Amino acid sequence: MTDLLEQFSTALADRIAAAAPCVVAIGTGRRHVSGMLWRPDVVVTSAQELPDRPEFKLRRAGEETTARLAGRDPGTNVAVLRLAQPIEAAPPVAASAAPRVGTLALLVGADDTGAPTGRLGMVHATGPEWHSQAGGRIDALLRLDVRLGADEGGPVLDAAGGLLGMSTAGPRRRALVIPAATIERALDPLLAEGRIARGWLGVGLQPVTVPDSLREAAGRDSGMMVVNLAVGGPAAAAGVLPGDIMLDLDGTPVRRARALAAAMGPERIGQSVTLRLLRAGALQTLAVVIAARPTG
Amino acid sequence: MTVPGLHVRLAVADPVRRRGLAAMLAAAGHTVVDDAADVVLCDLLPGSTPPPEAEAPVLALTDGPAPELLAGVLPRAVEQEQLDAGLRAVAAGLVVRGPGAAPVIGFRAAEDFPPLTPREVEVLSLVGQGLTNKAVARRLGISVHTVKFHLEALFAKLEATSRAEAVAKGLRGGVIEV
Repeated sequence: MTDLLEQFSTALADRIAAAAPCVVAIGTGRRHVSGMLWRPDVVVTSAQELPDRPEFKLRRAGEETTARLAGRDPGTNVAVLRLAQPIEAAPPVAASAAPRVGTLALLVGADDTGAPTGRLGMVHATGPEWHSQAGGRIDALLRLDVRLGADEGGPVLDAAGGLLGMSTAGPRRRALVIPAATIERALDPLLAEGRIARGWLGVGLQPVTVPDSLREAAGRDSGMMVVNLAVGGPAAAAGVLPGDIMLDLDGTPVRRARALAAAMGPERIGQSVTLRLLRAGALQTLAVVIAARPTG
Repeated sequence: MTVPGLHVRLAVADPVRRRGLAAMLAAAGHTVVDDAADVVLCDLLPGSTPPPEAEAPVLALTDGPAPELLAGVLPRAVEQEQLDAGLRAVAAGLVVRGPGAAPVIGFRAAEDFPPLTPREVEVLSLVGQGLTNKAVARRLGISVHTVKFHLEALFAKLEATSRAEAVAKGLRGGVIEV
């Protein structure tokens, strides 16, 4: 006869053990990161932790194997490795219910030999779809109350053992979850082309206020100043200069970083957009053709 | 000047780059050695791994994300004075970062920072180049007092407590690449 706490503890250990066969350790040089088998020959891991290398050494339950980097998307932090030899291990099935704040989350990772590691967290915050600073769309916000170590890139499970997604270190290594749906959406384009195409203007923009004297002419009190300009990029080719303040993109005010990132989806590549901007106190209009964001 | 120089091991493969750094070290009174170094100076290119710090503290020159574990990280286009100060600080057991050195910042949302004024952006980018308030004032043709005023406004807007934090948040965090 065991009491509730022991039953609870045993249940946690069983959940981790069930997910363990699909967890691998990926050598990145000095340290390692965790990854999970998504298909027999496909491993998914955290793109921000992977150095730029064509091939990686993997360890699973003490055994070594190699995998080729098939693609990575900084926007969603999904990297995909293709295994030299497929491994038959069923990945956890997707969680059946949306995670609620306060429910438990189990983080499975791998130590440097590929043996499983476990971490227990709580769903700290949830939210709707969001955009990363690197320009990717993440289907839902899911923050946990733990910080990640080398278990980053491994599966995150709910209390029923269902897969919520992949653990990813946010600022100060606090755990975020990239939802399984986001990974699923990125997977095939990454396997086929090695990257996720995104629209690109070739500018770095900083939100700024429009000087008082120009507010009336601009019709806006804020815009985004061009602080970086990619040499040979679409904006540079169209005649955009550093210091220009972008006011509108196709008539829509350019005010928020988030909205702008959202406006650069892959479907925009090749389209021409009209930029209205302030330069040296005067209004200018330029046409820019959105290109595909270069890799790297 | 009788400040003794340091013994520096140069872990740099490219001969041209090596010669340039060696000249900067010699000019600052340091000696390039092969072992028993006080500090290891290395170039950290994307994808390469720095030498272990077991031998001596490592000062890495890189424009990429700064590895958290290294004693010193400075930009590749480091000035001789900064390099000298950085090497001495690292040899003395301190941690050195350039003002703009982003640590591995982690995956984050496209944040909507409060808009800065065009002048604040100018001040911040000069501070990010390591300029003092006096030098910023001279460059922009404004008073030191005004520079300080802009910086105080920036600190408040960005909720920053140091120049480095203001630069990191305002210039790195606030800029969106599209």
